[in-house]
Amino acid sequence: MDQIYINKKRIGFNIGEYVVIKLIEKKPTEKLYSHNLKDLEPIKEEIINKIIKIIDKKIENKNIIITGSFLDKGFKFNDIDIIIIKESNVKFSSLKSIKDEIDGQTGIKSHIIYLTNEELLAGLSTDPLYKLMLNKCASKKRFIYKMKKKINYKLLDLHLLKSKTLMDSFDILNGDEKYYSLRNMVVIYLFLENKEISRDSIEKEIKVTFSLDVDKIRQNLINKEDFIKKYKSMYNEVSRKILEGVKNGSKQK
Amino acid sequence: MVQNRNKLIDIFIGNMINSIVHIILERAIKKDKEYLADKYRKELITSFEIAKSYREKINPIKVPLPEKDAFYIKNKIVKRVKAELKIRILKGYENINLNEIENEVGKALKELNIL
Repeated sequence: MDQIYINKKRIGFNIGEYVVIKLIEKKPTEKLYSHNLKDLEPIKEEIINKIIKIIDKKIENKNIIITGSFLDKGFKFNDIDIIIIKESNVKFSSLKSIKDEIDGQTGIKSHIIYLTNEELLAGLSTDPLYKLMLNKCASKKRFIYKMKKKINYKLLDLHLLKSKTLMDSFDILNGDEKYYSLRNMVVIYLFLENKEISRDSIEKEIKVTFSLDVDKIRQNLINKEDFIKKYKSMYNEVSRKILEGVKNGSKQK
Repeated sequence: MVQNRNKLIDIFIGNMINSIVHIILERAIKKDKEYLADKYRKELITSFEIAKSYREKINPIKVPLPEKDAFYIKNKIVKRVKAELKIRILKGYENINLNEIENEVGKALKELNIL
């Protein structure tokens, strides 16, 4: 007969009593894959696992990637960015119901991007903002992050145009909107300069070129005249490089 | 007051130009096999949204602008969009259809109650 030793002071068990030993059902631990992610708070890990479960239950998918400010330390995020890698074509209504369930169960607004694996890889090689977003992420399965860079100048031209609004409408934009415009331009600049793309490298570039901390920009504490002068100068430089690239590209055809 | 209104109109025009250039370039690039719908720049407020908010500050708000103002705005947008796109055509852009400009500008101005 096997014997088990339990705490002497346990109420209800007397020495020599017969007991039933039962194996506890093992709770499967879901392991998340992560990239450049250190010290993710346990509560966030729990939320991510919950989101993955909701999505898996609703649609077939090849992978689920969580990214954006949700993964930053603390709780200053606005929403949670979720990339679902398509298995098959899903109707928009299904995505809406997934979003509703995630928002309802987690209490966090979700932003779902639905892509094929090919689209994700194309984005990673041609769009610096994809590179930035996926520079820090958690995913259900491992995925290839390093893609060979491919510069499509016309796409970059289109992306850069979105940063032009800041010069036309500085006064109407709030701090966050100014920051996103600036970040979009700086990430394109770093991409063209073949520099590292990460949150840190962007903040460093902003600090060097604009002599500003990101927090000050987001709080809208900027000296307009000085900022716009530097912004215009960088915008024009990036735009000139892009249009030169378009010109050289079309000559090579 | 008049000067203020003119300034608002100028900012409105600047944003409309950017918005129309973006629409026509996007259409031209869509024919490129590497085109990828932009799903990541959700935080960026679009030029059209900004133009819309400026429109709401230009009197009269509820009805189209006087013909003289509307004509001035439309002409200025068409001219400057054409100039922006011509720069790109010179650099080697293909599939840009300059004939679309008038129509796109007209459509957007109607939507914003300028025309």
